[in-house]
Amino acid sequence: MTATELDLANDAGMATISEGVKPKFRLTSAHVSAVIGVSLILMLTLTAIFADQLSPYDPTERIGRPFEEPSAAHLLGTNDIGQDIMSELIYGTRSSLTVGFAAAAVAIFMGTSVGLLSGYYARLDSVLMRVVDVILVIPFLPLLILLAAYLGRSQSNTIIIIGMLIWAGSARVIRSQVMTISKQEYVLAARAVGATDRHIIFRHILPQVMLLAIGQFVLVISTAILLEAALSFLGLGDPIQKSWGTILYWAQVRGAFLTPAWLWWVMPPGLLIVAAALGFALIGFSLEQRVDPRLKQSR
Amino acid sequence: MLSKSRGGRAFQYVLVLVLAISLNFFLPRMMPGNPLALLAGVDVGLMTQEERDEVMAEAGLDKPLIVQYANYWGDLLQGDFGYSYRQKKPITELILARLPYTLGLAISSLVVAAVIGVTAGAYSAWKRASTRDVGLLWGMITINSMPSFWLGMLLISVVSVKFGLLPSFGAETPASGLEGFDRLVDIGKHMILPVLTLTVLTIPAVYLTTRYTMLSVLGSDYIRTARAKGAGETRVLFAHAMRNSLAPVVTILALRLGFAFGGTVVIETVFSYPGLGRLMFEAVGGRDFPVMQAGFLLITIAVLFFNLLADFTYQFLDPRTKGQ
Repeated sequence: MTATELDLANDAGMATISEGVKPKFRLTSAHVSAVIGVSLILMLTLTAIFADQLSPYDPTERIGRPFEEPSAAHLLGTNDIGQDIMSELIYGTRSSLTVGFAAAAVAIFMGTSVGLLSGYYARLDSVLMRVVDVILVIPFLPLLILLAAYLGRSQSNTIIIIGMLIWAGSARVIRSQVMTISKQEYVLAARAVGATDRHIIFRHILPQVMLLAIGQFVLVISTAILLEAALSFLGLGDPIQKSWGTILYWAQVRGAFLTPAWLWWVMPPGLLIVAAALGFALIGFSLEQRVDPRLKQSR
Repeated sequence: MLSKSRGGRAFQYVLVLVLAISLNFFLPRMMPGNPLALLAGVDVGLMTQEERDEVMAEAGLDKPLIVQYANYWGDLLQGDFGYSYRQKKPITELILARLPYTLGLAISSLVVAAVIGVTAGAYSAWKRASTRDVGLLWGMITINSMPSFWLGMLLISVVSVKFGLLPSFGAETPASGLEGFDRLVDIGKHMILPVLTLTVLTIPAVYLTTRYTMLSVLGSDYIRTARAKGAGETRVLFAHAMRNSLAPVVTILALRLGFAFGGTVVIETVFSYPGLGRLMFEAVGGRDFPVMQAGFLLITIAVLFFNLLADFTYQFLDPRTKGQ
């Protein structure tokens, strides 16, 4: 999904632009979504950073009886082996966000490289875009499962596998921006005075696509967090790290959703996943909207 | 997507298939350790050298790689997906038993999601920038951020456990003794929750694409012309705008079907639904690699098939692409 599909800021903008009137500044829903997104992510990031201070217990210690109901001592009760669920969630924030960030970094590195090469060198374009098309068609979750099962369960494997599967969409978006920029006069001028390709790509094109790449990066984090959760839920996450998905995996294995425990064991980790995925998506959409090449051209 | 020729698309799909099959072939053979454990799922440690050689020869693993690769293709083309040593059954038999369940879930949820998504998207675009439009938009973006398995678990907790309205697992009541129509009703009841989960998660993409396409269509000149010549609003919406928005929507639907197939892995796990996805999950637990691979391959084939179908529908809906 791209921001152009979403069209948040464009509630009224569409008509104005097509009629050739310069859109006035107004408090659009893009601003609202940016503010909500940033606050959600800020809260989660702080939780991840200060997990040691915030967490009431060590999430790996058995500090109570198994399956305890919420109480003053354990706000969200305990899990099947007597660990504090609240503390698990706080530390889970750390590992879920880490995987999200790192996998998105891998993906955006690939996506930007492929986008730059493909958009700048017409000869490479048809080959690279074919690769992108192929990756976009393959059903990722089954492939993710297959690779995770073969390569083994560890946090670094999860990061690499997710990163290598989700870069294709970004590559396509960045490529189209690079193509537009490559045709602009200052790039042609730079080439006319004998600038090397490397100089043009790094000095003239990369800075121009940076903001778009950052927007894509944030959107990809959202996807990565959801994929990590699904993978961990299927029991393919790092067995040592506790992530939100892992907590839900154990809740599922122990049948927590068949008991009243669904309220404190199943509900909270899911809400945190929604908060993170939504937060990053909202930031990504509003960033992307500021650099949408389609809107720029029509102005 | 629009400008790509039919031949180009066909080539792309063949490429995906070759890639998926090659990946399946090379993954277990590139892993460190004895490929026997991965391919045949045999406890290599407990066997003598002669026994190992025997099983290796039986599975054709003693032949040169290129011969193995050719044989692998030969078997697949004959519809032979290999043998599951864990379940002691041919894999083709296993997956054929599961395929109808997954197809049932994916297709019925897509149909419902298409109807709701397209209607909501068109409505949103029609009422552009109104409170309802913005509300719908926010709702859809939020749903899009939900993990599917979590939604499934919540539905079970509330609908099945708390209110006892619908069954929470399986495809039908075991040993129910129901026959004929009653059995159909029973199967239908078991489908509702998984289909609902899959539907809810498919709606946002359909909605967003429809809304976006409709917005650009509604801003175009021929809509203005239609209004100017005095066509009623309903006629403008249905006869002019909707018709021209359908083609991109069909494309996104086909792409979503790919996601729906992938998504069945988690959803079937939550609902213990006996489809392909659940088979894959069970294979992960039992480290039954050949079954995992077959699941992946079959899901890929299904996705390609529906993409192809969408391409033809696209050409049917958008006559401009016919000449290419």
